Amino acid sequence: MKVKVISRSTDDFTRERSQDLHKVFRNYDPNLRTQEKAIEYTRALNAAKLEKIFARPLIGAMDGHIDAISCMAKNPNHLKGIFSGSMDGDIRLWDMATRRTTCRFNGHQGPVRGLTVSTDGNVLVSCGNDCSVKLWKVPSTFESSDTVEDDEPLANYVWKYAFRAVDHQWESNIFATGGAQVDIWDHNRSNPVNIFEWGTATIVSLRFNPGEPNVLATSASDRSITLYDLRMSSPARKVIMKTKTNAICWNPMEPMNFTAANEDCNCYSYDARKLDEAKCVHQDHVSAVMDIDYSPTGREFVTGSYDRTVRIFRYNGGHSREIYHTKRMQRVFCVKYSCDGTYVISGSDDTNLRLWKANASEQLGVLLPRERKKQEYLDAVKNRYKHLPDVKRIVRHRHLPKPIYKAAGLRRTMVEAERRKDERRRAHSAPGSTSVQPFRKRRIIQEIE
Amino acid sequence: MAETKVCEKKRKSLSSAKAAAVESKKKARKFERKARREEKKQRRVHRPGPRLSSSFRKEIGIQSPRDNAESNDDFDDEEERVRGDVFEYEEQVAEEETKKNRRFDPVDNYEYELPDDFEDEDVPSDDEERHLNMLHGITGMPLQAFEGGEKKKVIFSSVQRDVSDGKISIQDLLDPLHGKPGYSDLRKRIDQLEKKPMAVQPPLPKVEREKLERKVAYKHSSKDITKWEPLVKRNREAPTLYFDKDVNLGFSTVGAIASVFEPRTEFEKKMASLTRDPEVMEAHLKDGAKLLELNKLTVEDVKDRQGRLAKMRSLLFRHEMKSKHIKKIKSKTYHRILKKERLKAAVSNVEMDLEAAKEEAKKQEYKRAEERMTLKHKNSSKWAKRILKRGLDVQDEGTRAAISEQLNQHALLTRKMNSMKDSSSSDDDSDDDNDETDSEDVSKLLNKAKEKIVKVLEEKDEITETGVMALPFMQRGLKKKKEAADEEARCALEEYDLSLRQLDDNEEGNVTLKKTSGRKVFGTPGKQAQETNNQNKSDRGNSDSEDDFDNAEHVQSGFEADNVSQELQIQPDSLHDDPRQKSVFKTFDDIVKDPGPKTTFEVAIFASDSWRKMKTEDVVNVNKKKQATAKQALLPDPTPEEEVMYQNSNSDTDEETVEGDFSFNPVPEYELPSQADLVHRAFATDDVEAQFEKDKLDVLNEENPEPEKPVLLPGWGQWTNVQKKNGVPSWMLEEHEMAKKKREEALKKRKDANLRHVIISEKTDKKAEKLLAKSLPFPFTSKEVYEQSIRMPIGPEFNPAISVRALNRPEVIKTAGVIIEPIKFEEVDPNENPDEPKRIIQNKNSSSSKNKRKSSKSKKSSGSKVSKN
Repeated sequence: MKVKVISRSTDDFTRERSQDLHKVFRNYDPNLRTQEKAIEYTRALNAAKLEKIFARPLIGAMDGHIDAISCMAKNPNHLKGIFSGSMDGDIRLWDMATRRTTCRFNGHQGPVRGLTVSTDGNVLVSCGNDCSVKLWKVPSTFESSDTVEDDEPLANYVWKYAFRAVDHQWESNIFATGGAQVDIWDHNRSNPVNIFEWGTATIVSLRFNPGEPNVLATSASDRSITLYDLRMSSPARKVIMKTKTNAICWNPMEPMNFTAANEDCNCYSYDARKLDEAKCVHQDHVSAVMDIDYSPTGREFVTGSYDRTVRIFRYNGGHSREIYHTKRMQRVFCVKYSCDGTYVISGSDDTNLRLWKANASEQLGVLLPRERKKQEYLDAVKNRYKHLPDVKRIVRHRHLPKPIYKAAGLRRTMVEAERRKDERRRAHSAPGSTSVQPFRKRRIIQEIE
Repeated sequence: MAETKVCEKKRKSLSSAKAAAVESKKKARKFERKARREEKKQRRVHRPGPRLSSSFRKEIGIQSPRDNAESNDDFDDEEERVRGDVFEYEEQVAEEETKKNRRFDPVDNYEYELPDDFEDEDVPSDDEERHLNMLHGITGMPLQAFEGGEKKKVIFSSVQRDVSDGKISIQDLLDPLHGKPGYSDLRKRIDQLEKKPMAVQPPLPKVEREKLERKVAYKHSSKDITKWEPLVKRNREAPTLYFDKDVNLGFSTVGAIASVFEPRTEFEKKMASLTRDPEVMEAHLKDGAKLLELNKLTVEDVKDRQGRLAKMRSLLFRHEMKSKHIKKIKSKTYHRILKKERLKAAVSNVEMDLEAAKEEAKKQEYKRAEERMTLKHKNSSKWAKRILKRGLDVQDEGTRAAISEQLNQHALLTRKMNSMKDSSSSDDDSDDDNDETDSEDVSKLLNKAKEKIVKVLEEKDEITETGVMALPFMQRGLKKKKEAADEEARCALEEYDLSLRQLDDNEEGNVTLKKTSGRKVFGTPGKQAQETNNQNKSDRGNSDSEDDFDNAEHVQSGFEADNVSQELQIQPDSLHDDPRQKSVFKTFDDIVKDPGPKTTFEVAIFASDSWRKMKTEDVVNVNKKKQATAKQALLPDPTPEEEVMYQNSNSDTDEETVEGDFSFNPVPEYELPSQADLVHRAFATDDVEAQFEKDKLDVLNEENPEPEKPVLLPGWGQWTNVQKKNGVPSWMLEEHEMAKKKREEALKKRKDANLRHVIISEKTDKKAEKLLAKSLPFPFTSKEVYEQSIRMPIGPEFNPAISVRALNRPEVIKTAGVIIEPIKFEEVDPNENPDEPKRIIQNKNSSSSKNKRKSSKSKKSSGSKVSKN
């Protein structure tokens, strides 16, 4: 009589080392597992909850300045270093890993308003209200534990007006300053190599396009956003909005797009080729947005606002993905995304720089392959079921400080009231006499050639 | 047009002149002159160029012999050649030409032709030069002294005029240079310059100008930016973007790895010494010829090899020949012997080793399978069919034997198959086989069943008392079950006994029954059959109301009233049999309907079989099963008294009445009722509409429940009768009213509020609601697409390891610590797969940039040192 028995080769079921994992043989027949959707939904729900549990975004604060931080610059060639300038004229270089000052650059008399670093990471350019542009040598090593004092700038150029903004062109010796006008400087020349003037308004912020280095965008106090082209050595176009744009940032992965942080609590993403309407309006802040910086991946950007919060938006998201706040953080004047897209740094009125994780619940440090796989799976599942009410609720839920919560409620009612009024006005006017303007166009007054 | 023509001509002439300039300036000039003469004709009407006053002309000494004598616009050739078309703007017509007031003498002949032999005075001819040289040689004075005095004067005067007047043409400046080297070049350039229209407009205001500039700048820059579009699109649409560091993975090809291979072990070294023999290497490098030389074999080797080959060939040939020879042998005995030998050898082989045995078994198996496949043993082959068609009797002995063998084989196999099947099916078969059964068989069967039940009862529980069964509650449960089964079996046993006894009685009663069957004389036999059928149906479920309906339906639709009455009359036949038998069948039916434990089930099968046989056997037995009460309710016609009477009367009287009935009511013709009528009859008893309305009301009440009526609160103010006096508090009443109103509103809002014949359930399942998206998520355009997108699971339990990674890959993969640079331009390959993850390598030239940085650093540092110093 033949007896059927399960026969397996021992090689498949024995481990070579004690640390080895047992190989699991699975039958992937869907008929055997009919509950997969339910299982995955539950996992998504649990992942969403776990994410909330592990959300610990603040890594630490960098204390040292004695006045509000007005500007920051990241070193494009060195991940750990970040420069900050304060309203008392102090410029510091921080080591983000140890969270301490490694170098101080003394020289400015008034507030420092702009900082930028050359692409090779060797020259720091600062400018301020004392009408001077200073070039500093960036110390290359961080070994010494005590702070280096640098009193001697590489160059000091004094100019006609108080500077408000400075930015360095990608991979060249040229940087631009903004104040009463836009000046293009060369590292080695004491006078600007080019001057752009269009209108009389003060330039508030200025950014070079990192992808297309010859294109420059500025925002000015006359509520305008202006584009310049260095090759044509001429301004190109201006768009005037209803409120001032405090900061501007180009998307590093999409050279045609930039986002403007506006005084009216919103951010507006524009296509540089079509300035008559914003591509996307990012709303959630309850007070003026002070600064904006794109993640180097181009998929997200971080904003700092006068409402004492830092928010992270998706490049195409109408609402923020994340909000960061602490009890002690005051008005945020400047924010930066780190060069590897993993951290966010904010500088605020309370003289502190704060280091945050870009993903609040991300596990830092080295992940084992299994851990990484698991994390990826949970993220994927969560992403798949994000539209279901429970998962959505948990993922979206944020605890807000009371003033912000109330302000948001107030804002909502105001917007709603406005909308209702508009609706009624339209209902009572002759048909066709009023036109409905999309939200993306509503805040734009004019595009000037 | 004319002008351009002129220009062209001139250019031609000029070029030709330049070509020959060095050797024969004069000739060229002559050419030019000719050309110019032709031009002049055209220029008469429209002549560009400055119009110098005659006085000025005189002063600068551009004089021609005809200048004074003839009209002013007749330039001499020399002058025109020099001036050419220098100015193209038009001045006003000269006063002389206006002919205003006839102030000037009219000139008849404008077209003055120079004589052919005309020569310009001013042009220093070769002869003159020679002459001058000669003079110079003789006198030893400088050349200038001998040159024409007039010309000298002109030059001086012109220079003086320069200062005083301030109105000089380029022509004036050019003149003195005439004849100097490079003059023609200069002149040509000026000509070219002046040929272009010099339409100079007043400059635009600065604002306008800047606006235009900006417009252009914007247009250009936006056009330039557009080049990024495909790249950005690709990156956006890529399922995954990697921001990777450029990692040097080392060798990518086998060749690269092999090129740096170093032999380490002894064997490798040996191999290397052979393969890397310089001689071989050299041969490889040079050409194949040398390689062949190296391949040389010794003569002995070749001989040896040839010998071996020849031997093999001859052996093969002999073997072939032998086999052919054997094949040719026709002797059967020889072959038989051969076969036997072979078989013997095989058997011995099998005995000898396992391998052969296995082989043999396989062969056998194969044979069997083949037989199964070919169905040789069935009479379905072509050959068999043909033989059967022709008839077996006609065939010879052998064929018949073959056929019979096949059939035998088939029978054998079918028997085998049957033996494999379970016993119940075989029982069925046997049941089917013996159609003709009689009461003896019935009794036999009943006996059999009895025996079985007894066996079951006697059987002790041999259930293993281990494992789960060992648990006390399981045992208890089992015991209970067993007791119940035993009880049932005992009942069945008793019934069997009774039925057996009854059967014996029936043996005698059969005679009388046969008498009763004589009733068939009166009715048509077909009807009788139908009737029995009908009764069978009604019998099967005589206790169930459903079946009653069924029965009624049958009666009403299938038969006429007479038929019904007939049925009624037959009914009493069944009444005279004793209720015990009836109960037997009833129990059998019940058992069939709900099979309990296994033992009872088996019994049931037996019982049902026997019942079926009895039914087919005689009508009377079947009729016995009739239950009068069921009929009573269904038959409308007869009055209850009659029925009672029927029931009480015995079989003989029944027969009489039957006869009487039939004689009184001859069968009317059968009419087919209309469809509507049929339907109406079929559903006569149930009021569908009312039922539906009730259902709808139920649904409404369930989904929007009616508010509870306010009642007096127990205990509250009861003993003081306060509540009774005041009634229910007003707020409660109000609340109730509100709730009522709300409910009505809700009912009105329902989708099926105005649809009388429809119930649309608006019940929301709160648990299911959690699992449904409230609205269609953004990028999806339809519900189906969205559902499709989340249909397949992505987890590692449901997918093989290879695809899990791809399914779970996030949109952006970056490594902490890798600096991500801004986008770099690259051409997008239109043919690349859009669903593939994209890699954007960072720090492509990290080493070079580092070096650069270092160098710049050193420079910077040196610079700073200098500044410090």
